[in-house]
Amino acid sequence: MKKYLQIFKISWSDSLVYRLNFIMWRIRSIFWFITVYFFWFAVFTQNDQVANYDRSLMFTYVIGSALLRSLILGFRSSAIGAEIATGDLNNYLIKPVNYFTSWFTRDLADKILNLVFFTLELTLIILIIKPPLVFPNNPLHLLFFILAVLLAILMYFFFSFLISAFTFWYPEHNGWPLRFFMLTIIGFLAGSGIPLDIFPQVIFNIFKFLPFSYFTFFPLQIFLGRLEPNQITFTFSIMIIWSIIFYKLSRIVWKKGLKIYGAYGR
Amino acid sequence: MNVITLKNLKKYYRVHQKEPGLLGSIQSLFHRKYYDVKAVNDISFNINEGELVGFIGPNGAGKTTTLKILSGLLYPTDGEVNVLGYNPWDRKPEFQKQFSLVMGQKNQLWWDLPALDSFILNKEIYEIPQAQFDKTLKKLTNMLDLKKILKIQVRKLSLGQRMKCELVSALLHSPKVLFLDEPTIGLDVVMQKKIRDFIKDYNQKFKATIILTSHYMDDVKELCNRVIIIDKGKIFFDGQLNEIIRKYADHKILEIVFNKPIDKKDLRKIKNIKIKKFDFPQAVLAVKRKSANQAASDLLKDFPVADLNITESSIEDIIREVFTGRDLS
Repeated sequence: MKKYLQIFKISWSDSLVYRLNFIMWRIRSIFWFITVYFFWFAVFTQNDQVANYDRSLMFTYVIGSALLRSLILGFRSSAIGAEIATGDLNNYLIKPVNYFTSWFTRDLADKILNLVFFTLELTLIILIIKPPLVFPNNPLHLLFFILAVLLAILMYFFFSFLISAFTFWYPEHNGWPLRFFMLTIIGFLAGSGIPLDIFPQVIFNIFKFLPFSYFTFFPLQIFLGRLEPNQITFTFSIMIIWSIIFYKLSRIVWKKGLKIYGAYGR
Repeated sequence: MNVITLKNLKKYYRVHQKEPGLLGSIQSLFHRKYYDVKAVNDISFNINEGELVGFIGPNGAGKTTTLKILSGLLYPTDGEVNVLGYNPWDRKPEFQKQFSLVMGQKNQLWWDLPALDSFILNKEIYEIPQAQFDKTLKKLTNMLDLKKILKIQVRKLSLGQRMKCELVSALLHSPKVLFLDEPTIGLDVVMQKKIRDFIKDYNQKFKATIILTSHYMDDVKELCNRVIIIDKGKIFFDGQLNEIIRKYADHKILEIVFNKPIDKKDLRKIKNIKIKKFDFPQAVLAVKRKSANQAASDLLKDFPVADLNITESSIEDIIREVFTGRDLS
């Protein structure tokens, strides 16, 4: 659809308007990476093995989670809450354009921009600090990894949309209280920077059924070749189930929310 | 042909009340008192194709709520709404391509990009063919004298320039129905006049049906033959503008300039008058319609009058009186 292509283009133009803002956003992402990287660097000067990760596995995990942070856990669609609370949603609702799809397009535009810059930064980082890395020797693992990432992007989008939709009922602070709460939980439970299987088995078993670990941890496990075929099947099944749940829930909550929507801003 | 039909429309909002202060805030964490605000309470009207209707009333009367319902933004609590044969709430693309809503205090353009970017986005969203887009854009930018600012970031435009761009963006798809919510708010008189002329032009050239809300009576007087007056969610007048005068103005206004100082008390001797202003050498009196001629001749006879003028009350005055003096329940 041509209209969504145009939305894609205008999102890029919009992101690139403020060069300083853009640069700072990238620096923030590099700093997050450096912090986590040196944390594990320090750990590995004392040990050769942490849980069952050696140096190269762990560094690959950290770089991978930095990639998935900017690719999956993008925060562009967090503006949906603000649009509901301020009434800017009106601009979309009166036009022949699908709000859900247009935000997905904007999110996608953002993620691709992220990916481009991340690749540049990653090349630099690898050239400078030369960390030991592993790559899948089975091309199937790479393929499954890409599939899992795409599915996780969808899943996170539905989830994020669902969280934003609650702003209809709680418009205070543009819906940030709930979103911030969820972000904190996700940051931990997704396994961003810290692999989840270093936790005790009981806790890890709970993580397996929660959606959050599928935003980072499990896709990376596939990449690192640490999952058996039946575990990969399990991973995809859980991801598909959660995606459907989040999709359905977000539609239901959205529809209900629109009915009580006050179209504020006078 | 009816383009817009409203029948027994109601819109109630549920809001919660909070006692002032921190204690009230803490109380409201545990226990909230809710009550319904009747923003629109049982209103009905029809609007024909090509009509330009003024929708007026004090703040909080329900004007914007009604426009939002007509645009499909709000879900009505009760009643029937029909615009161009559609129920706005269904938000069908075929319907959305035929109307536009412009809010004077809201920004629809992409704030950080030049207006032209937003226009091009609208072109795709409304699926406007390139040739038609070019033609309409050229016409609109000429009418509003905008050519020079199309490539400047919207946030850097003045309020008036931005408002013009908002109008262009809302009109690119040549809507048949246009809802304008205070399109001249905050603008200087010159700019108000320009926007007003433009609206009039658009209405006549395109046979567009327009509902306009405004707090500036000049907008309404100049643009609208028909006005709908709404207060506290109810309509209490729907008709020709000059009918308001007939219906509600039971007074005429006498403006007098005196030659020599007079005693204010003496003026009171004239029957059926009310002194609205006395500031020598001028006085303004309100006189019952029927007694106007008698009062005028008494004045000329008994007072040193240099100049005397009999006029109708201004619409502003009438409406102000109606709003302040009237209890609708």
